[in-house]
Amino acid sequence: MLELAVSAGVMVSCLVGTFQFGYTFYAYNQLVTAVGNGARYAAQRTYRAASEQDIERGNAAIRNMVVYGDAQPEPASAPVLPKLTPEQVNVHWELAGDGAPRSVNISIKGYTLDAIYRSFTFDGRPSVEFPYVGKYAPTEREP
Amino acid sequence: MSVCMFLLLAVVGMAFDLGRVYIARNEAQIFADAASMAAAQQLDGTAAGIDRARAAVAAMPNRWNLATKKFSGVVIEFSADGEQWDQQPKNLAALRFARVTAPDNHVEIMFLRAVGGPQEFTVPARAVASTKPVRLTQ
Repeated sequence: MLELAVSAGVMVSCLVGTFQFGYTFYAYNQLVTAVGNGARYAAQRTYRAASEQDIERGNAAIRNMVVYGDAQPEPASAPVLPKLTPEQVNVHWELAGDGAPRSVNISIKGYTLDAIYRSFTFDGRPSVEFPYVGKYAPTEREP
Repeated sequence: MSVCMFLLLAVVGMAFDLGRVYIARNEAQIFADAASMAAAQQLDGTAAGIDRARAAVAAMPNRWNLATKKFSGVVIEFSADGEQWDQQPKNLAALRFARVTAPDNHVEIMFLRAVGGPQEFTVPARAVASTKPVRLTQ
């Protein structure tokens, strides 16, 4: 009986740890995929820069692509991970002297994953950079 | 007891080691995609364009192994037709494709090797991008 109690404690601890790390790795992999897809999308979409609002609208579409897998998601769309919001996606453009984008960096900031027994916070990673290969439209407005 | 421990390590290894392998594979593929696009973007039919392509790949900030390690041993090749690849191409004006391979991503295996698994797992990645327009083709 005593042996069962001791070994059960060890086994349960191992299984809990396995679940925690397994789920966290799964979630991180989902984030890497989402950030990569968002960065690919951002790198190829038209950069409309008629005003700051247009740039922000474009960034919002990129954030939606990361979180929902869709630049214009339905209101009931579910995020790729629980409680992931567009505000937790950082979009940073590296611009040339004339305002044309050179590259785009997408990263996750302050996302806390609840792995039931413990939570993990991802801040600054995953982070992905792509060269900008889309069309620069300094006078166009976001539709 | 030893059978139980073997099974336990196998389960832990599946979750921990394979989880890391899948993440590394994903990170490597994203790096290869971004790097091949960066290289293709620089091709302009000149030797300077080739140099810029190599510099652009070397400057990519993307990392692997949970975003902690820089990619090493990266191979950059160029092609006019997407079939014959060359690291030192001769006919520069005809180049239309850049291919980036990240071959040296060795994930150290921690648990599975205790039950007969490999010491490390290599997760290479490769991507091809075309010029004009710069797009991923593979």
